[in-house]
Amino acid sequence: MNSKFSAKEAAKAIEALQPELNAAVTIVEDPQDNPNQGPLAGIPVVLKDNINSKGLRTTASSKILDNYVPVYDATIVEKLTNAGAVIVAKSSMDELGMGGTNRNAATGPAANPWNTAHITGGSSGGSAALTAAETVPLAIGTDTGDSIRKPAAYCGVIGVKPTYGRISRYGIIPYASSLDTVGFFTRNIPDAALALEVLAGRDDHDMTSSFLPVPNYAEDLKPSVEGKNIGVFRTVSDRIVRPEMKEAFEKLVKDLEAAGAKIVDVTMDEKLMNLIAPVYKTIANAEATANHSNLDGIRFGVRKPGASVEEVMTNSRTAGFSSYVRARFVIGSYSLFEENQDRLFRKAQKIRRLLVDAYKALFEKCDLILAPAAVDVAPLIEESSDVRFGQDRFEEEHMQLANFSGYPSLTMPLGLADGLPFGINLTAPAFEEQNLFDAAAKIEEIIDWKEEPACLAK
Amino acid sequence: MSREVTIGIEIHCELKTKTKMFSGAPVSFGAQANTNTSVIDLGHPGTLPCVNREAVRLAIKACAGLHCTIDPLVKFDRKNYYYSDLPKGFQITQQFHPIGKDGYVTIETEDGKKNVRIERIHMEEDTAKQFHKDTGTYIDFNRAGTPLVEIVSRPDMHSAAEAAAYVEALRRTLFYLNVSDVKMEEGSMRCDINISLSYDPEKLGTKVEIKNLNSIANVQKAVQAEIERQNAALDAGEEIIQSTRRYDEPSKQTVLMRKKEGTVDYKYFPEPNIFPIRLDQAWIDSIVNSLEELPEQRLSRFEKDYGLSSYDATVLVNDRDMADFYEEVMKHTKAAKKAANWVIGDLSAWLNKNGLNFAKNPADPKAIARLITLIEDGSISGKQGKVVFEEVMKGADPDQVIKEKGMIQVSDDGALLEMINKVLDENPKSIEDFKNGKNRAVGFLMGQVMKASKGQANPKKANQLLTQELSKR
Repeated sequence: MNSKFSAKEAAKAIEALQPELNAAVTIVEDPQDNPNQGPLAGIPVVLKDNINSKGLRTTASSKILDNYVPVYDATIVEKLTNAGAVIVAKSSMDELGMGGTNRNAATGPAANPWNTAHITGGSSGGSAALTAAETVPLAIGTDTGDSIRKPAAYCGVIGVKPTYGRISRYGIIPYASSLDTVGFFTRNIPDAALALEVLAGRDDHDMTSSFLPVPNYAEDLKPSVEGKNIGVFRTVSDRIVRPEMKEAFEKLVKDLEAAGAKIVDVTMDEKLMNLIAPVYKTIANAEATANHSNLDGIRFGVRKPGASVEEVMTNSRTAGFSSYVRARFVIGSYSLFEENQDRLFRKAQKIRRLLVDAYKALFEKCDLILAPAAVDVAPLIEESSDVRFGQDRFEEEHMQLANFSGYPSLTMPLGLADGLPFGINLTAPAFEEQNLFDAAAKIEEIIDWKEEPACLAK
Repeated sequence: MSREVTIGIEIHCELKTKTKMFSGAPVSFGAQANTNTSVIDLGHPGTLPCVNREAVRLAIKACAGLHCTIDPLVKFDRKNYYYSDLPKGFQITQQFHPIGKDGYVTIETEDGKKNVRIERIHMEEDTAKQFHKDTGTYIDFNRAGTPLVEIVSRPDMHSAAEAAAYVEALRRTLFYLNVSDVKMEEGSMRCDINISLSYDPEKLGTKVEIKNLNSIANVQKAVQAEIERQNAALDAGEEIIQSTRRYDEPSKQTVLMRKKEGTVDYKYFPEPNIFPIRLDQAWIDSIVNSLEELPEQRLSRFEKDYGLSSYDATVLVNDRDMADFYEEVMKHTKAAKKAANWVIGDLSAWLNKNGLNFAKNPADPKAIARLITLIEDGSISGKQGKVVFEEVMKGADPDQVIKEKGMIQVSDDGALLEMINKVLDENPKSIEDFKNGKNRAVGFLMGQVMKASKGQANPKKANQLLTQELSKR
């Protein structure tokens, strides 16, 4: 992995871009050299602000954690440090991971490096923007419902969500535990393969982490689609809005065929697809409301005064969360009430199972599924909102299928429309990251992406 | 007609593990506040639970000892509520799939033996401990995350005595199995007792819960007091309010803690951070098959092998250390009944007097056994035995003490007859009383014989010879 900058320079570059991008929450003032000579020796790395780093403020972009300085490192921070990496900044995100715009951060919206009037996407928007602006070659994110892959597509970088259980979640401030996946942003596939090699592996602190050995993804990387069955997710690609996006997507399909891939069209019942968003929100909000019950101002975080312990908790939580997050807690609680669970939370879990079964069935016909990451480019900050109850469209939410199933899934840039990037999404069955990287590396050769954003670290 | 009392009991028991249910922090009672915690116990952001295998093992033992069906698929759930002693804002418990179901425990009261059914046993984590003082609320997180089993009975008990017997039976079983310290006074065993009264056994009355009981004696007193309170209230035409009460020792009454307004919705749902764990059946079998002897098994063994009365056996078995010591003594003597008397009586009293208990018993079982044998075979009298006992407890050898104190009992017929006839000659009045049917004259004469022998006469032999000589006169 190569870095344009040393750790110290990277921190300065991020600082310099703050007025335009507002992508960092905390920038390490004077990053210290890391004596470890691992595969990431000297590489500056950005962490999403929900990844605990001992002694370095971690807020998850929430007011309630404004003063939170972790007393322990997330497992992946230890792994990065052992590999020689240097943490240079904590990046902005939608508060506690809740959102897809990065507008809902305590420090305000992050801006898209290609056009700062547009959103980065979220919730890992800060990490996406800082990778796109070339401040660092690797930024960590988390993906609960496309929170890495969507911002990666909007910002023109590679975003990888590995298999659930491939990377330890210990030390990651959660959003929805059954969907949360640690992943990352890079600007090329070999870097992505190496990053996963460093980050993956069983962690006894995370009972959901896999015991499967970690392959040598980087060393074994073979850019090829030869003989691979690639399923084109027509239910989604048929809905691409812009002609130039449609054209680029279809051209890629043809190029893949020319490169030796066997193309098959795959589709899924739209009735089922329409359930993706409500199922996602029901499960995610329910788990989130419990996961964030620890944020009460009693043992850590921002404490607001009150006459009793109960009042302290209520006041701290009321002041500490945005109204949007509070609304999601209420919705989450509502779906867990005894009288509602059967028709909301449990029903959502049952439908999640149906969706996963249907998605899994698609892989009987192919090794990988190719889809547009989104059917349009990043919207304007002013015009975007996460508060759009009942207005979700499945073509914008389809990447959540990889969260429901836990399958590894990545996005990578395909082209530009109106100066803003758009991308593709590639997904493989569980633990088949090598296959995913091999195909993505070939696609990388085919696309030969050389575009640069307007905001570039100098 | 009196109202039928229905009692169900929930018991929380801290498991005797080295570390917590879901973290590696040590478990210890009485450590300095907030020294035995970890980021996991404190509910820091990003922490995840890791199931303690030893806690599961102990829970399986509890299930086996209480005759429960063990579910080999271990699942955990979240119980959600906000309270300052609950760091995560939820407790990890087993709401939907308890590890044990449908067991029972045998209890014994004056009315005989009966089985109380156990509905379920589940694993969970303890909360932190709060101290409310004038200067504010203080929280000690040492207890947070301590492994617990909660044991829920069926409403099978109908009196204070049964409630106390049930708690005692559970306490004894869990102690014998080394599952828990079961110290009610330290809170490692806590019981919540639900009581309701009704004329119609099909339709239960409003239930009242009693919490914070620190001894089995108080379980009985509290339940009795609550039954009386509810009866009096119902007699006076009052309504029973669903509430939680505690037992106030000075007034011997239950006191209202809080009313229960509706049931709390804990919004239980499966814990997403712990996948279901399929236990290896061979592992479960190895735990179940190597279970320690259960108290009821020991009871019947004591009655059968040692011929002890049910009462003696129960007293011994109730205190495992006492029963262990008794068994050590019985390796060196055949006088089972006498040994039981000495262990339950003199030795218990001595330990008590010296501020000790059977767990810290300094007595040498071999020496105690020798002392008992010497009394049993008439070498010394029981009275002499008490003197020897005091010396034995100081570490002396019983034979040595007897020798030094010249205590050998007089069992020789000739010597005894001489003493008896001398006493009879000196007490013609008593002989006359005896002949007039006054039996207490024998007692008086026996006393005189013992006095004449300076306490060294074998009382059994002397009594026999005295009766014989009296009839000759």
